[in-house]
Amino acid sequence: MNKKYIDIINVISLRGPNIWTYRPVLEAWLDIGDLEDFPSHTIPGFYERLTAVLPGLIEHHCGVGERGGFLQRLREGTWAGHVLEHVMIELQNLAGMQSGFGQTRSTSTRGVYKMAVRARHEEVSKAALYAARDLVMSAIEDKPFDVAAIVKKLRDMVDSLCLGPSTACIVDAATDRRIPSIRLNEGNLVQLGYGVNQRRIWTAETDRTPAIAESISSDKDLTKSLLASCGVPVPEGCMVENAEAAWEAAEDIGLPVVVKPSDGNHGRGVSTNLTTREDIEAAFKLAAEEGSEVLVERFIPGDEHRLLVVGGRLVAAAKGEAAWVTGDGTSTVEQLIDSQINTDPRRGTTEDFPLNLVLIDEDPAVRLELSRQGYEPGSVPEKGKQVLVQRNGNVAFDVTDKVHPEVAAMVSLAARVVGLDIAGVDLVAEDISRPLEEQGGAIVEVNAGPGLLMHLKPASGEPRPVGRAIVNHLFAENESGRIPIVGIAGSHGKTMLARLVARLMHLHGWYVGVACSDGLYFNERLIDKSDCANWKSGHRVLLNRAVEAGVFEHDARSMLTEGLAYDRCKVGVVTNINPSELVPDFHIDDVEKLIKVIRTQVDVVLPDGVAVLNAADPRVVELAPLCDGEVMYFGLTPDLPALTAQRAANARAVFIRDGQIMLAVGEDESALCPLSEIPLAASSVWPDRLENILGAVAAAWAAGLPADLIRTGLETFDEELAPAADAPAR
Amino acid sequence: MLDQPEQEEEPSMEISRIRALRGPNLWSRHTAIEAIVSCPESERSIASLPGFEGRLRARFPEIEFLQPADEAHPISLAHVLESAALGLQAQAGCKVSFSRTVSTVETGIYQVVVEYTEEAVGRLAFELAEQLCQSALEDTSFDLAAALVRLRELDEDIRLGPSTGSIVEAALKRGIPYRRLTEGSMVQFGWGSRQRRIQAAETDSTSAISESIAQDKELTKALLDAAGVPVPKGRVVSSAEEAWTVASELGGRVVVKPRDGNQGKGVAVNISTREEVLAAYAAASQISDEVIVERYLPGHDFRLLVVGNKLIAAARRAPPQVIGDGKHTVRELVEQVNRDPMRGDGHATSLTKIRLDAIALATLDRQGYTADSVPAKGVHVILRNNANLSTGGTATDVTDDVHPEVAARAVEAAQMVGLDICGVDVVCESVLQPLEEQGGGIVEVNAAPGLRMHLQPSYGKGRAVGDAIISNMYADNDDGRIPVVAVSGTNGKTTTTRLIAHILSKNGLRIGMTGTDGVYIQNRRIDTGDCSGPRSARNVLLHPDVDAAVFETARGGVLREGLGFDRCDVAVVTNIGVGDHLGLNFISTVEDLAVVKRVIVQNVAPTGTAVLNAADPMVAKMAKSCPGSVTYFAVDRHHPVMATHRAKGRRVVYRDGNDVVASEGRFQCRIPLAEIPLTHGGVIGFQVENIMAAIGAAWALEIDWNTIRASLNTFISDAKSAPGRFNLFSYRGATLIADYGHNPDAIQALVNAVNTMSAKRRSVVISGAGDRRDEDLRQQTEILGDAFDQVILYEDACQRGRADGEVVALLREGLAKARRTNDIREIRGEFIAIDTALADLKEGDLCLILVDQVEKALAYIEKRIAEVG
Repeated sequence: MNKKYIDIINVISLRGPNIWTYRPVLEAWLDIGDLEDFPSHTIPGFYERLTAVLPGLIEHHCGVGERGGFLQRLREGTWAGHVLEHVMIELQNLAGMQSGFGQTRSTSTRGVYKMAVRARHEEVSKAALYAARDLVMSAIEDKPFDVAAIVKKLRDMVDSLCLGPSTACIVDAATDRRIPSIRLNEGNLVQLGYGVNQRRIWTAETDRTPAIAESISSDKDLTKSLLASCGVPVPEGCMVENAEAAWEAAEDIGLPVVVKPSDGNHGRGVSTNLTTREDIEAAFKLAAEEGSEVLVERFIPGDEHRLLVVGGRLVAAAKGEAAWVTGDGTSTVEQLIDSQINTDPRRGTTEDFPLNLVLIDEDPAVRLELSRQGYEPGSVPEKGKQVLVQRNGNVAFDVTDKVHPEVAAMVSLAARVVGLDIAGVDLVAEDISRPLEEQGGAIVEVNAGPGLLMHLKPASGEPRPVGRAIVNHLFAENESGRIPIVGIAGSHGKTMLARLVARLMHLHGWYVGVACSDGLYFNERLIDKSDCANWKSGHRVLLNRAVEAGVFEHDARSMLTEGLAYDRCKVGVVTNINPSELVPDFHIDDVEKLIKVIRTQVDVVLPDGVAVLNAADPRVVELAPLCDGEVMYFGLTPDLPALTAQRAANARAVFIRDGQIMLAVGEDESALCPLSEIPLAASSVWPDRLENILGAVAAAWAAGLPADLIRTGLETFDEELAPAADAPAR
Repeated sequence: MLDQPEQEEEPSMEISRIRALRGPNLWSRHTAIEAIVSCPESERSIASLPGFEGRLRARFPEIEFLQPADEAHPISLAHVLESAALGLQAQAGCKVSFSRTVSTVETGIYQVVVEYTEEAVGRLAFELAEQLCQSALEDTSFDLAAALVRLRELDEDIRLGPSTGSIVEAALKRGIPYRRLTEGSMVQFGWGSRQRRIQAAETDSTSAISESIAQDKELTKALLDAAGVPVPKGRVVSSAEEAWTVASELGGRVVVKPRDGNQGKGVAVNISTREEVLAAYAAASQISDEVIVERYLPGHDFRLLVVGNKLIAAARRAPPQVIGDGKHTVRELVEQVNRDPMRGDGHATSLTKIRLDAIALATLDRQGYTADSVPAKGVHVILRNNANLSTGGTATDVTDDVHPEVAARAVEAAQMVGLDICGVDVVCESVLQPLEEQGGGIVEVNAAPGLRMHLQPSYGKGRAVGDAIISNMYADNDDGRIPVVAVSGTNGKTTTTRLIAHILSKNGLRIGMTGTDGVYIQNRRIDTGDCSGPRSARNVLLHPDVDAAVFETARGGVLREGLGFDRCDVAVVTNIGVGDHLGLNFISTVEDLAVVKRVIVQNVAPTGTAVLNAADPMVAKMAKSCPGSVTYFAVDRHHPVMATHRAKGRRVVYRDGNDVVASEGRFQCRIPLAEIPLTHGGVIGFQVENIMAAIGAAWALEIDWNTIRASLNTFISDAKSAPGRFNLFSYRGATLIADYGHNPDAIQALVNAVNTMSAKRRSVVISGAGDRRDEDLRQQTEILGDAFDQVILYEDACQRGRADGEVVALLREGLAKARRTNDIREIRGEFIAIDTALADLKEGDLCLILVDQVEKALAYIEKRIAEVG
């Protein structure tokens, strides 16, 4: 057999913390066949061909830890699976889906590797995986490969499948604050936080954005009248029936005025800055031709601005600027636009560019602006002649620091009057650094769900942390959006422990969601009778807006095939690790490998959380150093070595002494209750069951439940929780 | 047959002015149309119009009007107009009861006031009433039925719909004020910072995201499923085979339908075999690329209304249908059903007629019928796939039947989606059992659900859903109001208003204030000009940053439109005195004026307080009209009104030596006048009165005494904070006082104050407003003539209808008997008059400038002072 090809024999999407890392990854099992005998440096021209198509690989540090690290490995010789990992990462990066993490490990089968790469979107990552394989093979086989085409395809996938840039910036800001997020649909609806403490965003709308406020903001006339009632300057105006009335209205309002159709778009039929009776009457006829009612409004001099208000505070401001071209005596207006405006590197057609291209064919407003000055797109302005192309181009020039405090107060009031927590306020003023009243500026529109891009990628000036502002608006400084989560891993005893902890939390008054192998429970109501110790059921618990605390059971298989449903937990319990739980079909064929799987439960404990470990199992005790938070041991006897060491370090522990369950902090210990008072313990002959009870007590204590409540809970437990718990190997 | 009446040469009844009184007013608390009606001699008593009453009653038999009280007050045509306008509205179904007609001082001119519930309906009723009178006069025809239809249709068109209406009614029962923000269903409840909004059954807590979720049925189902709420499981498929695979997984009966469908096109329900599923997929995929296969839920459609975390109402809904009898066609069966008198055309009845329109025909077609088919006996023929009441469906109240577990699932569904008011659509055999036990499920949740099926179900009991919504928006003791103080009177209103606003703001409240010079929100002026009317008050109550409001309430607005609020916590009336602006708007006597100023007192909340000047008999008498308690103030505590009130242990505020004293029973609080700069240590008498009024108001609002004291101490009345209110300046060692006093009482108060100040020579600059009565203008200078050495008269900028020189001439007449004035000058222009006065000033002199164009004049004075340094 002579197979020099990378076969992808299995692809697994790990949607949560897993054996590799905290973040979702795509795991691929690769069979590289005889390439096992051909590390990179043995394939002539491979290095050159690969670096030629992917020069960005030089940025990959790899294990070496510095720029060029991966290339060094490539030169020294590394295997195809590892190369594939880096190519996949690079392709994802080129497609605009940043992915730092990747890892490749050999298995006990020759030529078979497990590779994992950070996957922000399952489908895109899958496409990147196969593309990367094809690219590596073409470099090995010295065949052509169209990198640009595949990157474009991936980029298009990112654009259509991943979160939009505005939403992504909010989610990233949440991540920075360690607030977890869950995408709820294929669009931009995202849940931040878990259970009862979650909030929802949909682009720049939040769950505090009232539908009524959106109705108001979409009714310009109503918005204007509410704003005017509250003293916010708006362009005063009125509907008129005929040319004479237009002039009367103009005199009432004060000159100059704008005359426009009431429901016009793209500036058709709009005449601005009118001062004479003749002009106003002519403008009326022009507007009336559009077939709608005609509005006479105060002319507001100045530039358009967009001010972003979040939670009552101004967080960003951008200004629009007019676009002009200068005639050269030979070029047409259209050519001048292309050569003088569209050559600006900030202009482009995608969201990555802060400014749009000016396209006469697609923008009737430009055509109209030109025709007002007597030009067609094909006209040739004389040399030196200034031609206005756009009165207000993209509003993308950051002016946040210039906004006068009174202007900021005014736009904040406007958002409040409409009732929006996040609002994009459109304002026309000559100078944003002066109060509106003294310059005749006005607020012209209040928008719900405003775009954030102009503030994230301004054409000039500094980007504004609007995502952070929105997250801070949704979550107070001391709020993380989290709920207490207890995760339970181990080879057996998990289910009983889970149900016990859940019962204690329920007694504490929490609405508890439990996903365990007995089923899925909400508030002690059985929702699903099947085995629910899996990602999907855990996910349901996190989505449920009623859930105040979650208890999750995890077996090694679900951790290997799906990952955990949550990112971090308050309490991570490991009951024991023994060979009964090996998963040979996933190459977890010895206990050492199993420990690497189970450790995830300890890895995900929050810095202010607790790992609850069985002191009697040395393999479990071994996990203690991996915990970011506190470690609490439980054990049947007070003299277990790990337990005594723990107590010497002044930490907490739970054990049995003289027939009583003891809670200890360092050397201080206090009796919780005698075992004889616990029906579940009294009738049991199984020592495992006692361990489960102790584990549950420890977990409840770690979750912050008071000792009195734990005692009462233990004393009132019934046998109902026992049978499932006694089933072996859970 | 009656003889034709003789043709009258005289012109007939004429309506010269119509006003809508949109708030509590001179006549009543009701909204009303007020018209000025002039009747020629012959029409001042209908008894003198032969046959008129008979013709009138023939045209409008339901008309009611009172018998004449006595010979001196016969029933005029204006009275008939009144009764007709009220009666027409009442017959059209509007809930109106108040009307009144009064004669004015001018013979033959009447004020006719008729309550309305909708302004446009009230106006139309007036118009129709006038036509009715005319037709009865001229014996021409009047189509009563058509008139009532017009009124009824207009009313139905503009009044709040049943859902919104039920919520507003519930709010009113709780004393929560409301205001419509649009012609549609958007309503504001409460005021200022405590306002809330609704739009039909949507509140300002209804999240836009939740509404979007509810509109996406698949997303909704996924979220409900996550929360453990039973839903018809299923998923989107893209091929016929996949459809069958999913159907097999689901087991049993399924529904196959296009993802974006409407009117039930391409939907196959209750199918189970492979052949059926494949065929159904083919049909559904014609409508939409994405086809949904989901479990079929057998049973009836129920709508459960969840408000907050409670199930409030439940109804079983049935689409419009007829039952075959084997004899009649569908068309005939529909006609039979529609003959039911309970079925109407609009929202007014609990059932609506079934329409046999295109949608109905298409629905019939899918069942294999046409309108002319004769369905077999006992067969149910559906005429529409939805069960909306407005298209002929029926709703049967089943609220009391709902099993607690079913209710719990509905509440969980609403909360998972995040809707505070939610219509949950359930399909199951019966709501008496948990859904899980009968294979039922929740198929949809709806934002802004219609409430009519619960308010007026076709069968069963109506439910108080409006009350439930209001209870969910407002805590039990919360009425959404902010403290409102109304200030009225002839003089001192502006200063008193400012004082009260100042005290309240020192108490940490954000204040909205209106007055004759603008609207202020937290000291920022948001409107200029005379803002003492109802529109400005309403604007303040709309403002989201206002925690308390103080309204200077001038008579103009009260007369024109009524109050801008339904009631106030405190009404302050400073004084009436000899009056101001008399002669305008049929307010010819001080008594008439008092009636206008009294409106705020009449509309004090039962828990509120009227703060009244005991020393002014017209004001003191208002106590009788106050539904709440009364606090009297007066300098003299021995004034009989004060003494009596004090003896009863009630609240009084008076002056005792150098203190202002507030006393109630044994309680007493003294504030030294020395601590109140506004009074110049008690020297300025009228400011002491303003202070007492303000204390009374602050006390009524239970402001802490330390706060009251401290804020009186910090109240500054200079040209900036209180322009035109006794602004003191110093010019070359002379004292300048600028004030906007412009009636005899104000001028007397100024003279009293100025007399306490020492000065060598005294001069005064004055003009008069043209709209005052001659005697008032004369009286002003009569007072000044005894107190000033020099009087400079100038022409006002605004002559308000007087001829040139007329006002100055009247002012000069007033000086004829002057005891002190020895130097009188006449000047054109306010600034030149000021210049003239300043030019003569020497150190130690005093000059009172009665400014007219307040801001301009003050700016000018400041400029002149700055020039001399």
